Amino acid sequence: METTSKETIITVKVNNISYTERVPCNMTLLQFLKDKLMLTGTKEGCGIGECGACTVIMNGKSVLSCLMLAAEADGAEIRTVEGEAGEQGLTALQQAFIDHGATQCGFCTPGMIMSAQELLERNPSPDREEIVEAIAGNLCRCTGYEPIIQAVQAVARDARDARNARNRGK
Amino acid sequence: MAEKQADYRYVGKGVKRKDGVQKVTGAASFTRDMNLPGMLHARIVTSPHAYARIKSVDTREAEKVPGVRAVISGKELNYKVGLYVLDKDILAKEFARYQGEPVAAVAADSELTAEQAAELIKIDYEVLEPVLDPREGMKPGSPRVHPNLGEYGYMKGVFFPQAGSNIPHLQKVRRGDMKAGFSQADLVVESSFYNPQVQHVAIETHVSIVQALPEERVEIITSAQSPYTVRNLFSVCFGIPHEKIRVKVPYVGGGFGGKAGIHLEPLCYVLSKKAAGRPVKLTMTREEEFNTIPCRQGLYSHFKTGVNKEGKITALEVEYVWDAGAYADYGVNIGRAAAYAGAGPYEVPNCKVDSFVVYTNKVFGTAYRGFGHLEVLWGIERNMDIVARKLGLDPVEFRRRNVLMPGAETITGEKITDHHGRVDKCMEAVAAEIGWQGYKTDAERKKEIATGKVRGKGIALLHKAPAMPSFTSTAVVLKFNENGSLDLMTSLVDYGQGTYTALAQIAAEVLKMPVEKVNVPWDCDTSFTPYDWQTVASKGLILSGNATIMAARDCLRQLKSVAGQALRCSEEDLDIGDEHVFIKHNPEARVSYQQLAYGYVYPNGNAIGGPIIGRGHYMAQGLNNLDPETGQGLPALDWTYGAHGLELEVDVETGEFTVLKIASSFDVGKVMNEQQLRCQVIGGVIQGLGSAVTEEFRFSKEGKFLNAGMVDYKILTAKDIPAEMTQHMVETPQLDGPYGARGVAEHPMLSVPSALGNALYDALGIDYFQLPLNSERVYFGIKKGEKEFHG
Amino acid sequence: MIKPFGFIKPKTVEEALSALQVPNSVCLAGGSDLLVEMRNGLKNPDLVVDIKGLKEAAEFSFDPRKGITIGAGVSLNFLAAHKGIRESCPALAEAAASIGSYQIRNRATLVGNICNASPAADMAPVLYILGAEMVIAGPGGEKTLPVSEFMTGVKQNALSAGEFVIKVNIPPLPRARMAFMKKQRVRGHDLALINAAGLADADAQLLRICVGACAVRPVLLEGTDELYRKEKNPDKLAEAVAGLASASVSPIDDVRASAEYRRDLVRVFARRIVKQVCAA
Repeated sequence: METTSKETIITVKVNNISYTERVPCNMTLLQFLKDKLMLTGTKEGCGIGECGACTVIMNGKSVLSCLMLAAEADGAEIRTVEGEAGEQGLTALQQAFIDHGATQCGFCTPGMIMSAQELLERNPSPDREEIVEAIAGNLCRCTGYEPIIQAVQAVARDARDARNARNRGK
Repeated sequence: MAEKQADYRYVGKGVKRKDGVQKVTGAASFTRDMNLPGMLHARIVTSPHAYARIKSVDTREAEKVPGVRAVISGKELNYKVGLYVLDKDILAKEFARYQGEPVAAVAADSELTAEQAAELIKIDYEVLEPVLDPREGMKPGSPRVHPNLGEYGYMKGVFFPQAGSNIPHLQKVRRGDMKAGFSQADLVVESSFYNPQVQHVAIETHVSIVQALPEERVEIITSAQSPYTVRNLFSVCFGIPHEKIRVKVPYVGGGFGGKAGIHLEPLCYVLSKKAAGRPVKLTMTREEEFNTIPCRQGLYSHFKTGVNKEGKITALEVEYVWDAGAYADYGVNIGRAAAYAGAGPYEVPNCKVDSFVVYTNKVFGTAYRGFGHLEVLWGIERNMDIVARKLGLDPVEFRRRNVLMPGAETITGEKITDHHGRVDKCMEAVAAEIGWQGYKTDAERKKEIATGKVRGKGIALLHKAPAMPSFTSTAVVLKFNENGSLDLMTSLVDYGQGTYTALAQIAAEVLKMPVEKVNVPWDCDTSFTPYDWQTVASKGLILSGNATIMAARDCLRQLKSVAGQALRCSEEDLDIGDEHVFIKHNPEARVSYQQLAYGYVYPNGNAIGGPIIGRGHYMAQGLNNLDPETGQGLPALDWTYGAHGLELEVDVETGEFTVLKIASSFDVGKVMNEQQLRCQVIGGVIQGLGSAVTEEFRFSKEGKFLNAGMVDYKILTAKDIPAEMTQHMVETPQLDGPYGARGVAEHPMLSVPSALGNALYDALGIDYFQLPLNSERVYFGIKKGEKEFHG
Repeated sequence: MIKPFGFIKPKTVEEALSALQVPNSVCLAGGSDLLVEMRNGLKNPDLVVDIKGLKEAAEFSFDPRKGITIGAGVSLNFLAAHKGIRESCPALAEAAASIGSYQIRNRATLVGNICNASPAADMAPVLYILGAEMVIAGPGGEKTLPVSEFMTGVKQNALSAGEFVIKVNIPPLPRARMAFMKKQRVRGHDLALINAAGLADADAQLLRICVGACAVRPVLLEGTDELYRKEKNPDKLAEAVAGLASASVSPIDDVRASAEYRRDLVRVFARRIVKQVCAA
């Protein structure tokens, strides 16, 4: 059993690209994303899981990358903010953030977007309480949160309207 | 520079934030994200004692660690840093003056190596008796935090450090005749209040990357609000000529005043010099951000108010004692600015304010959104309610009878005109919005309390002018690009306030061009972007907005000058529209901005003109220094007034309460961008609410910081905001503001705690005097069962 | 920064036990306590053993009549969202939902919360009143220990070197009303200033109240069944339990709250819990 090596090899898919890297066992997932993969969109605000700035989506769930070892991500699929917008442009959520003034300094924004996006994927029409529950772990000092909540509500509303329109069309 | 009222295309319209896409995609690059080739990582060693003589620093073991490139301690550094009083060393030399003060530093190939080496530095301290209470520190015979205060350099004529004391500044306001004023009073009321230190808690901590290059050149990348101030203070500290120092500021993850001055840059520089010129990056951990980086200073305030039976204030005597911590930094200026605002937005014919800034052995205070005004307004607006009640007057009515109206004078002798903001309108707006009907009667209160839950409403007013030197100025440069778009260059930093978007709106308005084609490069660079004093004081929109108008008009002149030649007409015949310059009486004769941007080329190849660069600047007109004895003078470019109304519900068994609604109103002169304004207000209100309900620094009796981290220093989360927040704007144009606009960046925070304290009185019949109003404090007030709770 | 260590993710309990024989090794489940401790230098292991690869860690079964089994790797969000738990054992779901933030709860585990053994552990009061047992794997085989004996002191548990908790067993659920309360400084994520859980089973005449963050270990009130049987007036019962609770705890002053506030809140919480669970 390999217990003396302080490094390990991980294979991880990040934003749909597969990486196989040798990493120190004590490297956090956040450090791996920022320092190894140079994906600097994900931020560190506290390093102890209190601020949520480091939120990414792992295997479909929002997680704090500062509280995970890179080694734990072996075999996982990770999404960071850089992978959200695609050829089709910004996601509905990203556009809603801009439309509702939900970003000011921008430092909490990547983590906030990943938390909100994860919510919308498991619950396309959340109510206000559900939205707040999903993002309460993301601290923001600039916006006072209300514009962020309204941005997510707008996306939820549009999803609801689209679904209703489809159902009417049936 | 107000334009005449017209139907604007961009001013006052909902233009989307310019930086939105970069931020929501994570592309926006912050200093924290950046790495340079060959860069070293630094870590600091800090004092575990509140006050200690540093007997020895042994770095030998640390120096031996492989990968360590520089180890440094205070004894090698003979520089003094300071904004107004040069009282600080880069690393503590002889004394460590607060628990958390940096004493030594390491730069190494990796952060882990730097940390491991830092742990090997051995420091021998002689622990001294700290000064922890500024009221004690003021007294003769108190231990001296700065025994050599009398020998420090300082900004003469503005600040007056008292040698042989713990007082780096005393600001006085003297107006009228206090004896006469109190003799005219039918009632005299005294009250005292306290604000603890709090922290900015920007989500990006302080971080700087500095490289010492040959020829004394320095390159700095830093998360800062004021690149030119970093450069200037750096130059003063090290004696390096300004042009050799380059300060670059990329996206900044929040500042709130905490990044207004100079912080980590000098330390990174001396490490880089010692490490053979490799760039050095120092990132504050979140704990260091609390424990080492400066905070908002604490305040003890005392009021003695004389009122006559008509409800008019006849005299007001105020003493502010600021807990400035170990270094003066911005603290002395906060003590100054808060003094001249220190009576609140009221007409006070006889006024005495003494504002003492006092050193203690704690984390020192720096600029913080509001610059002392939230702290003084906590006391001022609570005092107004208390005095009103003792007079038997409704607190809103009491304020109505005393607010500054056109024709009145402030306590520094400034005349209020028809073009000042209308604090009374703000007050009426919030009173109506929360349905203010006066305090509950004792009987109503008792009945409601018996149900276990009781509601209360409170109102508080606010005011602030930019606290800035009389010579504060800013410049904006507009340069055209090949396609007729503009780059707007400024060293004002947009770290979320949205000012760049507003400036682009202004440029687009003046030049009648699409706002999408006014580009604002986000990075500031003292080698390229023109001077701005500092991004503080809610002065960005008003000063840089005016500078933008001037720069845009300068572009216009140049456009017309070349166009007149190209079109063979007088410049008087020209107008602009649709990104073209055209002849008014023959609009088809026109030439585009694109054709003019880099010079106009005739069909035969002749060419005239050249690259069009518009220059604008602005300085407030007529400001002067305050009289050192009386504080009389004109310090204020513009006063922004406002008010909050707050409603809450208290669970009387636990002291917990829910803020149900906060209604806010400000006289902003002109709403430049409604959505951004509302967002700025909401953000400020919530930050103010944090000061009101949870935030405080706690110290042990030895002066050690007990809650330096997010586990025990709580800021509000999305679950903590009121269900309802409204924002109302009054528009009394500021004659010298761009399109009549005033700043409102800091103001939303101010007086939120006061409104909450007043609402708690309405609910419980109890006056509280200390912040934060957390549930434990509220509970003990209820438990004690008296009308006043001073704990 | 976290100091270097080795990392291993065993596939079987035997492999895990073998790994834990390495001196200065620690178990990793959710990581929300361990990573913070490692970053802060409070724990400096030489080997981290990730137990999330064990099938036992993922084990979960729920049947009100047979009990609940919660493996060491089962996340708090899973418990908070589980329909059966929300209906039959709501205090368990509420306690799980009260810990940290949503993201933390996607990783943090009930077993981890108990092993961390903070006096303020939010899962502890509920497990105490339900009579939960920790199932421990060790070199000598498997053994069980009631949760009240497992939490031995401030951040101390009954595990010996080389042992780890594989799962928690909750006995068949009483037909009871339950309540969970937690006092925080903000409504967002926060540690408990105090927490408490209670249940009342009218048929079996059981009243269980446990209070946390008020002593070095959670305090299960004694004599509550008897009070419940004897005192039929709900207000008087609530008052009596409140008094008992207040007298049973020994809170401290710390940076979060004063001892007096804690003790007074214990009284309020106990009274409110009794009123909630004993309501007709």
